[in-house]
Amino acid sequence: MIEVRNLTKRYGDTKAVEDLSFTVHPGLVTGFLGPNGAGKSTTMRMILGLDRPSGGEALIAGRRYQDLDQPLRHVGALLDPAAVHHGRKALDHLRWIAASNGIGEKRAVALLEQVGLGGVRHKRIRALSLGMKQRLGVAAALLGDPGVLMFDEPVNGLDPEGVRWIRDLMRGLAKEGRTVFVSSHLMSEMALTADHVVIVARGQLVKETPMEALTRNGSLEDAYLELTSGRGLS
Amino acid sequence: MNALAAEWLKLRTVRSSYGLIITVGLMVVAGVLLSWLIVQDYDTSSAAEQATFASADSSVVITPVVQFLVAALGALVATSDPRLTALTAVPDRKRLLAAKSVLVATTAVVVGALALVLSIGSSWLIMGDRPPPIAPWDGIGDVLPWAGAAVLSILVTGLTGLGIGLAVRSTAVTIVVVGVLLWGLPAITPMLPAPWNMDASAVMVPYLVWEVAGVVDDAPLGPLAAVAVLAIYVLVTLGAGTVTLLRQDA
Repeated sequence: MIEVRNLTKRYGDTKAVEDLSFTVHPGLVTGFLGPNGAGKSTTMRMILGLDRPSGGEALIAGRRYQDLDQPLRHVGALLDPAAVHHGRKALDHLRWIAASNGIGEKRAVALLEQVGLGGVRHKRIRALSLGMKQRLGVAAALLGDPGVLMFDEPVNGLDPEGVRWIRDLMRGLAKEGRTVFVSSHLMSEMALTADHVVIVARGQLVKETPMEALTRNGSLEDAYLELTSGRGLS
Repeated sequence: MNALAAEWLKLRTVRSSYGLIITVGLMVVAGVLLSWLIVQDYDTSSAAEQATFASADSSVVITPVVQFLVAALGALVATSDPRLTALTAVPDRKRLLAAKSVLVATTAVVVGALALVLSIGSSWLIMGDRPPPIAPWDGIGDVLPWAGAAVLSILVTGLTGLGIGLAVRSTAVTIVVVGVLLWGLPAITPMLPAPWNMDASAVMVPYLVWEVAGVVDDAPLGPLAAVAVLAIYVLVTLGAGTVTLLRQDA
């Protein structure tokens, strides 16, 4: 479970996230929606301890991410598939991440096979396509077999096969009882994937609701646009 | 230990690390060749000319280059992997800093000691029983202070590269700053008006090596004071890197 309580992030006078509170429950895919600049990525970065909140807190299983022992065994995250050393081989990338959390090399090899990258394990990352890099990022997120998974725009740049693969993966992970938190701009994709949605705009919570309640009278896109109308970047 | 194992794995799995180590090896080989050429010239010179020869110890020539290469290695350890991924894997920033520091310090000492042993050993063999000034040592007791000071300076430059890299978060900027510290400023300080020229030069890394070794008569700083100045280099740069890593968003 992820608990976000009164989370705030200011850059000078600009409030990127303001007094944001919501809960992400296990066993569900929770979509995190909002216009550009709504504070989605900043919120995810604060949950992972990458950015320091100006106020409030984000807890995973009751603890801050940076206080977790071997955090990858609790949380797996894919925020930016390009945030890698492109001169390193795919398997070596997973090996160092695994080593940092006391995870064996066999797990890295098995995961590369699982995400369909077994054949390119000894290729340098710069030689991989965007879709392959996304899959490598997913493999890194799954290394510790974590109960909580976070994905920031995971289908960006993927072909239809890759989009379906990510969707099935997230649905499968939630079905196993894991907490899956995913941000996306793609309403049609979220409508197919998410069970629950958290909508933010200008750093503030707009709506937290089951998907079913939001789409009862129309499409997710219609509901989303109605809720966020006029709340994008100005 | 997991963080250190991960840092060691990261260092071993990128080509740039091997490029730097191979360059150190090539510099040692170049030093051997230089010693041999100096000795050949010495042997064919008159007694009067022989008295004016500088030492054929190649370690004096390669030490500044090894300092720079190890500082570049420190810069790469600090900057080559995106902070987002590094801090997601090891969110305890103090632990990450400790792992990087131990890795750079250990690598610097091992690489520095190997380079010094090989260059001093080869120079010794090439110089044979020739007298001073081409052979600067009478025995191992003369060699150890210089070798120890040189390895210490290589350790300091490695940690300085790491600290600057963590502070500025750019490999290119770090390497430029290290170049200025190791070569740029020491070239300028002797041109300052007296007594600033002596005072400023005395705290430059190339001169500190000699001062730590205690082999220069009338050196402005004694060995202990010189070690203290080297420690200040590490404290200031690694301190700046620590503050940046602990306080800044990834």
